[in-house]
Amino acid sequence: MTSTIILLAIFALGLAGWFTARARARLLYTGRGSLHSMPNYHAWHMALWIVVPALLAWLAWSAVSPELVRAAVLADPLAAKLPAMDMERAAILAEARSLAGNPGAAAFNPLAQEFAVPYRAAELRFGLIGAALVAIFAFTGGAWGFTRVRARFPARSWVERGVMFGLLVASLVAILTTFGIVVSLVYETGLFFRTVSPIDFLTGTHWAPSTAGGANISKDFGAVPLFWGTIYIGAIIAMVVAIPLGLMSAVYLTQYADPAVRRWVKPALEILAGVPTVVYGYFAALTVAPLVRDFAAMLGKANPSTESALAAGLVMGVMIIPFVSSMADDSIAAVPQAMRDGSLAMGATPSETIKRVLLPAALPGIVAGVMLAVSRAIGETMIVVMAAGAAARLSADPFESMTTVTYQIVQLLTGDQEFNSPKTLSAFALGLVLFIVTFILNIVALRVVKRFREAYE
Amino acid sequence: MGLGAVVLSLGFLALLLIIMAKNGLGGLGWDFLTRSDSTDPATAGVWGAVKGSLLTMMVTLALSFPMGVLAAVYLEEFAPRNRWVDWVEVSINNLAAVPSIIFGLLGLAVFINVMHLPRSSPLVGGMTLALMTMPVIVISGRNAIKAVPPSIRDAALAIGASPVQTVFHHVVPLALPGILTGTIIGMARALGETAPLLMIGMRAFVATPADGVTAPSSVLPMQIFLWSDEIDKAFVQNTSAAIIVLLAFLLAMNGVAIYLRNKFETRW
Repeated sequence: MTSTIILLAIFALGLAGWFTARARARLLYTGRGSLHSMPNYHAWHMALWIVVPALLAWLAWSAVSPELVRAAVLADPLAAKLPAMDMERAAILAEARSLAGNPGAAAFNPLAQEFAVPYRAAELRFGLIGAALVAIFAFTGGAWGFTRVRARFPARSWVERGVMFGLLVASLVAILTTFGIVVSLVYETGLFFRTVSPIDFLTGTHWAPSTAGGANISKDFGAVPLFWGTIYIGAIIAMVVAIPLGLMSAVYLTQYADPAVRRWVKPALEILAGVPTVVYGYFAALTVAPLVRDFAAMLGKANPSTESALAAGLVMGVMIIPFVSSMADDSIAAVPQAMRDGSLAMGATPSETIKRVLLPAALPGIVAGVMLAVSRAIGETMIVVMAAGAAARLSADPFESMTTVTYQIVQLLTGDQEFNSPKTLSAFALGLVLFIVTFILNIVALRVVKRFREAYE
Repeated sequence: MGLGAVVLSLGFLALLLIIMAKNGLGGLGWDFLTRSDSTDPATAGVWGAVKGSLLTMMVTLALSFPMGVLAAVYLEEFAPRNRWVDWVEVSINNLAAVPSIIFGLLGLAVFINVMHLPRSSPLVGGMTLALMTMPVIVISGRNAIKAVPPSIRDAALAIGASPVQTVFHHVVPLALPGILTGTIIGMARALGETAPLLMIGMRAFVATPADGVTAPSSVLPMQIFLWSDEIDKAFVQNTSAAIIVLLAFLLAMNGVAIYLRNKFETRW
């Protein structure tokens, strides 16, 4: 609550500074050319000097103040009553903290109730110190900005420099995100590989993290069945559905369909890609999986399971159709008209032209589209969580239940367990493998698309 | 045969919608929309989840829109051609295609384990989704900015506007409809996303709607996922009804995006 007030106060001060500087700059205006910059730029210059230092001070303060509050509470005479064990200590302090923010709530631990009082006092004290700090920064910055409001001061150049810096920072967020992903995944994976050997992880065929433990822990983290399940569902079954359907839709829409039909059908196909995956997952579990099970029983399979690789793969394939079809659509459209005309002029039928000329010419783009689709399919989570099952097995039978990398990541990280166990860390190792594979697929596909486009331009 | 493929794909979509409508329409009602989650399917509703989704989307929009637009402006208008900028571009294009669950792992490792922000809160959920949405906004923003003809920039520069003025007074306003369309599409994707939020623990049973961005909360797709796990058959109706609500939101957002595109699209 206090943070909202402080934020609002900072922006209110900035606004006040904006108007002050503008009014002052207007007073300085005595005629054409008397001011270097327009009054608005002086206004922005001062507002930035108020808001930016104050915000930075506030961010720095909110990073350190929880530690200070904790230290202050532990310095309280009451702290002698705390149990020596670190875990209990932390639990009581955490409870006291939430009680302090929510007075009147019943405490689970009576000691926490006592601690809530010094906690509240310390939070209030440090909150006030923080607010004072922010105010000092805002007013110092504002005063500096105000003294700069002079006729010859190049406020516009300074504001534009600030804007350029903001633009640069914004574009760095993307690279920071990539960096953050890589660092956090590699770090946790490194911790995991301290207990489990990477070779066992990448080549072992036995996956049983829930029972893992003891000296032979490495033997329970063999991820090959997960990789197989992921490839089988995402890259084989889903693609068997998506490639023919997507490709044929694209050929139909670009070559045969009436423009009026195309205008309506294309967006309708795109809807398939816009339906949330949780909806597909539910549909797979509710409707498709029982159908697949009955079909398996009809084929004479004893005791078919409700969760099957086929159900998940089928639905995933349908979800992927628009990706394949729109990429194929683009690449077919990029083939120069001259090639098509040439083929038709030689006496080939339209269907021969499509099969012998257009599709081979568009092939690189289509392959890139399929690679992007595979990368999307193997990273897909909700459909497999809801329909594919938890059993890690190496099998080529599509009616068996199978598990994937994404399913296991969800499974490993959604229970209540301590954070640094090999079980949770293995999820990050799986995540790293997934990230590397999709990264390679994406980069190669983007390269191919780029080169392909250049070839025909 | 091509027509057959199209009909088959659209038939699947129609089947999905019909089954959800058949199961769910009976459960939709004022009570369902205004109540929150409960263990009893008859009194459970989606308001808590809808409110959580709205709070999460607010955080996502507040972070990803300014960042995305500014990054797009920088890359398209000011960035020098060098290795560093190439890396930014590769990383944006790649981030747009990274599996969403990876963003969840990032959120878990950074926002929760390092920064100790409150678990299950719309704040963390929104920040995670913002990282996911930003590349989408950057890519569509760049395309919209690229579509503004150079003559506009030349005209502004010729009468003495500075490069920053040219971009912010002329180019960005003209590109805005395209940027907004991309933003809405990115937000619609974020609204339907479940996997990254599972990672950061937004799966708690929350019977009262969250009253702020730091309170534990659920979101609409997560509510669907949680209900779909219930053994009680009566939850099938709730799940389908919640799916209808979610699809209605998405349809409305995409409708606005299409409207914007048609209304403001300029052919230069």
